[in-house]
Amino acid sequence: MLRSGLTSRRYTVEDALEAIELYFEKGWTDGLPVVPPTEERIRAMLEAVGLEPDHEITFITNRQTAVTAEKVAINAVMAGCKPESMPVVVAAIEAIGDPRWCYHGPGTSTGGAAVLMIVNGPIAPRLQMNSGDNLFGPGWRANATIGRAERLDMRNVIGTLPGRLDRSTLGHAGKFTYVIAENEGDSPWPPLHVERGFSPEQSAVTVMAAEAPHQFYNQLSNTAEGVLTTLCDDMRISGNARGQSQYVVVLAGEHMRIIAADGWSKADIRKFVFEHTHNSVAHLKRTHRVVGPIKPEDETTVRALVPSPEDILVVAAGGRAGAFSAYIPGWGGKRTSEAVTKLIRA
Amino acid sequence: MMAKLEVFDPTTDPKEQPITYVARPDSLKGKRIGLVENTKHNSDRLLLKIGKILQDEYGGAEARIWRKHNSSVPAHQEILDELSASCDVMVAGIGD
Repeated sequence: MLRSGLTSRRYTVEDALEAIELYFEKGWTDGLPVVPPTEERIRAMLEAVGLEPDHEITFITNRQTAVTAEKVAINAVMAGCKPESMPVVVAAIEAIGDPRWCYHGPGTSTGGAAVLMIVNGPIAPRLQMNSGDNLFGPGWRANATIGRAERLDMRNVIGTLPGRLDRSTLGHAGKFTYVIAENEGDSPWPPLHVERGFSPEQSAVTVMAAEAPHQFYNQLSNTAEGVLTTLCDDMRISGNARGQSQYVVVLAGEHMRIIAADGWSKADIRKFVFEHTHNSVAHLKRTHRVVGPIKPEDETTVRALVPSPEDILVVAAGGRAGAFSAYIPGWGGKRTSEAVTKLIRA
Repeated sequence: MMAKLEVFDPTTDPKEQPITYVARPDSLKGKRIGLVENTKHNSDRLLLKIGKILQDEYGGAEARIWRKHNSSVPAHQEILDELSASCDVMVAGIGD
């Protein structure tokens, strides 16, 4: 039971439909109808995480805004979350408030990043999170509503309104929700959160400022090197002139099995992808990503896509059938915003 | 009569924070100029040009330029310490 009451301003309406219209009129939605946040529903969210309403989950320094449990609970109700998803929402909010994530950059930039969340550990199957077919698509409540709740917090609590503080030139659909789980059941590799310091029994969410997923196709090769060579050729030119801070590589069923059958570890994948995504300075100049005349040495001087192999996060997820996988560019240049992994307390 | 529904405001207002500016000098004559570059392409060229105008047309003393870690973060402490120790006025900005 909560010790203290809710302090947010209350509005009285006739019914749920009037509440939905009120939230549209107030500019409190992402463009879709919301679930009316009643006291009972908000309290259920708070009780699911054992947090008092005034508990500060994070503080966004450049906005001088405290993100409290009460506001996160209200927005989670609005997004359609079940209370058992609330621990994931709280962990994700902690992550975007971490200085390493650098909220001000990806939150406001013309670069149009969304907040990619990768959920690992036992909570993912418990919430029936999708890690398989139609990975980035609609159809799963937890994936759809957890990401939506986080974006509503960015909008309503932190004030990241499109066209005002959020100055994305293009944005992408991941800004509605961008939540996946790793397919730990079928994966031959250690899960992402274990690589990042957690135990397999713990649940964690890795949050990265990210562009949209870019799908690649390879149905011809049955070797790790063949599949990853295609990936690297696509990925190599996807960075901006100064390279990206990080990438996620999502390997779906067929590619996952081909690469694992060759005995490659996630570290082997990272090393290969890092080494095969360099661009020559001459190429960057020819394609007007770097200014200046091409000098002879530019042909052999190379720039890496990311600072190190560890900046390529490898995740096993996606449908069992189909010769497709994906890479996801992070936002910004080297070391501007880093993926952050937080424990999910559930 | 149907029961009415009570719903809650999901927004937060940012804390108000007073910002105090130092008094602006009456003249730039002899003032040491600090320039803070934000790493965006050409921002160094623009700021150096501004520094030169402040020297040539307003009598400013030397202009020195510093570079932030990246455009999304405030200038780091090392820059702030050096600026406050060695400059009288400074110019910074952000844009694409």
